[in-house]
Amino acid sequence: MADPVRGKVWLLRGAFVGLALVLFFFRILPLGSDAGKWPGPDLLLCIILAWVTRRPDYLPALLIAFVVLAEDLLLMRPPGLWAALVVVASEFLRSRAALTRELSFIVEWLLISGVMLALLLGYRLVFAIAFLPQPGFGFAMVQTIASILCYPFVVGLSWLALNLRKPAMGEVDAYGRRM
Amino acid sequence: MAKDRSGPEEFTRPLRRILVGVLVLLLLVVFLIWRIDSPRVERFRAALIDRLVPNMEWALLPVTKAAGMMDDFQSYTRIYEQNQELRRELQQMKAWKEAALQLEQKNARLLDLNQVRLDPKLTHVTGVVLADSGSPFRQSVLLNVGARDGIRDGWATMDGIGLVGRISGVGQTTARVILLTDSNSRIPVIVQPSGQKALLSGDNSSAPPLEFLEKPDLVRPGDRVVTSGDGGVFPADLLVGQVAQGTDRRLRVRLSADYERLEFLRVLRSHDLPPITDPGGVVAPPLPAALPALPEDAAAVEGADG
Repeated sequence: MADPVRGKVWLLRGAFVGLALVLFFFRILPLGSDAGKWPGPDLLLCIILAWVTRRPDYLPALLIAFVVLAEDLLLMRPPGLWAALVVVASEFLRSRAALTRELSFIVEWLLISGVMLALLLGYRLVFAIAFLPQPGFGFAMVQTIASILCYPFVVGLSWLALNLRKPAMGEVDAYGRRM
Repeated sequence: MAKDRSGPEEFTRPLRRILVGVLVLLLLVVFLIWRIDSPRVERFRAALIDRLVPNMEWALLPVTKAAGMMDDFQSYTRIYEQNQELRRELQQMKAWKEAALQLEQKNARLLDLNQVRLDPKLTHVTGVVLADSGSPFRQSVLLNVGARDGIRDGWATMDGIGLVGRISGVGQTTARVILLTDSNSRIPVIVQPSGQKALLSGDNSSAPPLEFLEKPDLVRPGDRVVTSGDGGVFPADLLVGQVAQGTDRRLRVRLSADYERLEFLRVLRSHDLPPITDPGGVVAPPLPAALPALPEDAAAVEGADG
């Protein structure tokens, strides 16, 4: 099965892991900690949601779970919780891939924004149930808003750099099946 | 290779759904285990970071240096203003130096009179900051010294001037320092001229607030804040910072340590801390004469230990 399309799937999976590593690397650079600075976007989340919406077959659930769990462990978050929520969100989008394929980008953006907000609220809800201390709501919200604003750029860059887009009408996959 | 798509798809979809459900459940179980037995999972996390991050040091170092050079280059453009400012500060410092020298001589005389010997156990290990916490909601740094160098959980960490944080999580070659600004940091402090005791509790802002002050009226902005050594966690009399009033009219502490540039940190070898093995007893008023009173400061604890 050494056809080029199959190779591209694995290439993109490798690119995903590589991107996650690069993002992690730049986040832990010791450039002086400035507490209270506005948090930036969660780019890994943007990448996962954008890619799952476009080509669900490129990101299997197990890969997402492993990468996000590793990020949980490395960034001192409670391990497992964020990973579980991101897997649920990606499954939600995956099962609606046929629907989102028809949507215009603005509507897709709205849908993704809703998913990101739901992720934030679910995360904070579990924190509250488990009696864990958490940062202020507005502070966490800034990160979600930054992620939502970054989403179109992530989509555009993955389209330009990796030619990642929704399958066109009548396109066939590696096995010659209609997608 | 054209296959009928509906056949296997119909069969695998429920199976796939179950597998994903199991995966999510497993992840939630990991979270639950962490919530129930946090120290064990945190030790695993420290070991994982200990394996991973030092491998990235070769790449972290040049990028950090390059960023530092860019910062320095930007500061060249303001060199004239900086020069003026430095001259002004130098004038003030000269006066302070005079005062410090006199005080030093006086202190030496007094120490000599009292035949004080400084505690030889209060030495330090210096480490280099390897990495940040990586998350905007956690304030911690990773040092390149660890259990190999004798670092233990709970030891105080300072930069040249003031307290920076506390060791929490030790790997073989790395140790994590929870900074005073982290929302999990609670340090017993004493506000200097008035002697008011308080708790410095980080809240993810650059100036952590003072809590549980008995008489806030006695505390004025500009007062010195030092560690009190209550509870035997920290050595007493480490400089923390100065009191300042925040915009929300809460008393906050402007930290003396230079948090913008944490590069070399000192880990103070404290006395052996009692390891925390159980989740602590019920907080209740002490029974008369049944419980010994808590020692007043760290020096008393040390005396009892040694």
